[in-house]
Amino acid sequence: MTKLEAVIQSSKLESVKEALLEAGVEGMTVIEVRGHGRQKGHTEFYRGREYTVDLLPKIKLEMVLADEMVEKAVQTIIASSRTGKIGDGKIFLSRIDEAIRIRNEERGVAAL
Amino acid sequence: MSAQVYLTDLHNQYVNESARIHQAFDATADGAAASQQRSALMDSVIIGLCNQLLPRELQHLNGVSIVGLGGYGRGLLLPHSDVDLLVVFDNAAISEKFTGPLGRVCQEMWDMKIKLRPTTRILQECSKLDRENVEFTISLLDCRLISGDPKLFATLHDKVIPELVHREWQPLVHLLSDLTRSRHQKYGNTIFHLEPNIKESPGGLRDHNAASWFALLAALEKQRAWPEQKSLFDASVQSDLHSSLDFLLSLRCFLHYRYGRDDNTLSWEAQDEAAARRIGAGNHKITAAGDWMRIYFKHARMIYSVANQYLDEVPPARSSLYQQFQRWRSRVSNADFSVVNGRIFLHQSSVTLTPDLIFRGFEFMARHGFKLARDTERRFEQALSAMADSELQSAGVWPHLRQILVATHASLALRSMHGLGLLKRIVPEYELIDSLVIRDFHHRYTVDEHSFLTIETLHKLKEPDSDWEKRYTEILAELEKPEVLYLALLLHDTGKGLPTGHHVQGSLQLAEETLQRLGVTPEEGEQVKFLIGGHLDMSAALRRDIFEVVTIRALAAKVGDPERLKMLCLLTFADISSVNPEAMTPWKAENLWQLYIATTNYLNRSVDEDRFHAASEAATLERISTLAHKRKDELQKFLEGLPQRYLRSHTPEQIVAHMEMTAHLRTHPVQTALNHTRDLYEFTIVTPDRPFLFSTIAGILSAWGMDIVKAGAFSNQEGIIVDTFYFKDRFRTLELNPSEHERFKRSVIQVLCGDDTLDRLMQGRATRKQGSVKINVETKLNFDNECSSHSTLLEVIAQDRPGLLHQITSRVAHAKCNLEVALIDTEGQMAIDVFYLTFEGAKLTEAQQEQLRQSIAEELN
Repeated sequence: MTKLEAVIQSSKLESVKEALLEAGVEGMTVIEVRGHGRQKGHTEFYRGREYTVDLLPKIKLEMVLADEMVEKAVQTIIASSRTGKIGDGKIFLSRIDEAIRIRNEERGVAAL
Repeated sequence: MSAQVYLTDLHNQYVNESARIHQAFDATADGAAASQQRSALMDSVIIGLCNQLLPRELQHLNGVSIVGLGGYGRGLLLPHSDVDLLVVFDNAAISEKFTGPLGRVCQEMWDMKIKLRPTTRILQECSKLDRENVEFTISLLDCRLISGDPKLFATLHDKVIPELVHREWQPLVHLLSDLTRSRHQKYGNTIFHLEPNIKESPGGLRDHNAASWFALLAALEKQRAWPEQKSLFDASVQSDLHSSLDFLLSLRCFLHYRYGRDDNTLSWEAQDEAAARRIGAGNHKITAAGDWMRIYFKHARMIYSVANQYLDEVPPARSSLYQQFQRWRSRVSNADFSVVNGRIFLHQSSVTLTPDLIFRGFEFMARHGFKLARDTERRFEQALSAMADSELQSAGVWPHLRQILVATHASLALRSMHGLGLLKRIVPEYELIDSLVIRDFHHRYTVDEHSFLTIETLHKLKEPDSDWEKRYTEILAELEKPEVLYLALLLHDTGKGLPTGHHVQGSLQLAEETLQRLGVTPEEGEQVKFLIGGHLDMSAALRRDIFEVVTIRALAAKVGDPERLKMLCLLTFADISSVNPEAMTPWKAENLWQLYIATTNYLNRSVDEDRFHAASEAATLERISTLAHKRKDELQKFLEGLPQRYLRSHTPEQIVAHMEMTAHLRTHPVQTALNHTRDLYEFTIVTPDRPFLFSTIAGILSAWGMDIVKAGAFSNQEGIIVDTFYFKDRFRTLELNPSEHERFKRSVIQVLCGDDTLDRLMQGRATRKQGSVKINVETKLNFDNECSSHSTLLEVIAQDRPGLLHQITSRVAHAKCNLEVALIDTEGQMAIDVFYLTFEGAKLTEAQQEQLRQSIAEELN
């Protein structure tokens, strides 16, 4: 099993969610986050005060997938969130030792 | 019969009888009957087990009372509720003798899968209040003898409990009050949840219990004896409360049987089923689950209201503070209303209730945050039922509603008006969303409650809890007409009550009728409709890239001007915050703020670009020309080349008036108009443009002692300027001397026509000192050569003071810059002035900008 974490532009959440659902990925966790990579921040002046946003609003998606679904999910996220500009985000993959469903204690892939 | 056979038999009887009760409930939906039968069944199980399992020598139960508490004590045991049992022993020796054998009885009940919660006490222990476990003492109020020593029980019931209550009444009442309030707080102090917990939510069974306990405690404290159940509550609410209890018992029975456990959540699926089975519906017409939920909320409202009445009557713990508070509360009483124990009473009990007086009652409520006393509510209800709608309307609804909406406790008054049916009389559209459940994953509350919460959210911004809330507090304080925003919030979701499915359009359609009926001005009406129509626009923009120019530009085009943007931003903030308590996160608030300031800046920096051209604005021209007596050509000539900002910041009536002033330029080259609007004067000048014009006018106003708060200066293609100044009459010259109005206008005309000089006026100007400076504002000058294709934008932030605008613009004029557009605003002690400048028809060079910067900075320092 693999954990997939994706940091994407917040404006891409709806399209990524729909695309993942169509691809057969039904469960995910969505977290509102702030951050930056190489993308610069944003400064606005308002009423003589400077408002700098160097940690830009992003959305982080987390999901645990059966190994055979991972590549499909990765490609789906890339296709539905890419704009080609700096700030598109990143995807991270890590191994998961075990998954357990709380309701009935199912384990492994069956719990996903 | 052997013990084992007996027990098996008893178990089977229990199962069979439970099934029979279940079937009977399925047939009748009578929760009260089912719970009474279950109580009786449990009594027989306990008595049977005691007879079978206790040694013969202990079966007399002398010195032991087996007592039911809680719902079981009340004789109303729900299918999957706990069975609260208290075993009282006369003394410790008896306790030792019986504990083991009675333990076997409990074990057998657990084996029968009965959710038994036994407690044991020695009689003497029941006479002490354990502040860590006040729930136990409260539960004694529902005690009922199941089996055992009647004399011991009589001592407990008739002596120990009344004496305990009499002695410890204050702490008991306060502790019960704290428990109830914190439960209410946990559920957002509202009954209007989309999926309420019918036991714990406000208006649920716990509130009925709480009301009963408060009533019992009060009676026991006064009389030291148990009151009659029938007279526990005031006669005016007794019957309704009884019906509401019956309804909730039936509903809870239904839920327990449905879930097969003690789950009291009225989920959407449960609502559908309860509606289909008409649980507690009586003769009400039910066509959908929404109709049935309205019945639920009616009962919840009744129970919540009674529980809150008791809560409000609990005296505060510390008497000295209470007395001070009481004195303060008495001081807010007026000729019409007095406040006693935090409730509003009519000052004269025999006064005839007119619509005006009733509205004033709600205004009083909205201003001070007190609720109506039950007697006042009753009298209002009776008076309203006898009034025709026309009589209500004749009181002039909008002026009253406006006062209510802008007051700090508006939501309290609106909820009360809604509960008494008055809101539906003046805004009939509220009938559509009364207790309306819309099944939405995000929304937590009914549609009407959500609307009240949005208004409450904005008023709460006056005391912000966090830094990010403070930003919105600042915008709220700047609004010119906050009542427009509050009215839009009140009406923005009425469309959800229509079957169309497009609630924004529905709300707009309903608003047309409402606004006419209320009698709001056309200008206010347009603002309200704009807000209702666009109330999802900023939320939609938040789902796009908020730093992209495309997003900002699109939003700016929809909004049109900064005042509308402020209102829309606050509406969006309130709307999101009121979906559920977690909806408005700091993340969202920050994004909304960034979107707001980026769009404000765009609006202020694109004024010059976006101008009226008749060729592409036929519809606008047509709309305004209907007021211009068909002088379309003249109107077109006047409007051609004016910034769109001018059209957005003036009503069609104002635009036509300015056009008329332009027409009169043939007779006199300077046309003026002076009006008094609310707390500001509005001074408009229409004249051909020339150097030093704006700074001269600003100077004249300064010489007269006027404090310019806001201004807009625009010019059309023909070089005719339309400058409007909004100012405060600092020395009340115009207010106290109406004849000075004409002299003021004449003075402007004389200076502009060269018959007088500004210097002469300035010499004689009032030199009263400026008020104290509360906040020091650093002077900032920002030039921007990118935002406009043909002007340089200059933004000046400075400490507001008399003559500031004249100082700045005279430096601009001395630098031979032309002022294409000026947008002047003041926020507290901060002046925020935006100028679009050109030099000989082109943008300013960097050198010119630097020169002007130094000149202005020198002037201001």
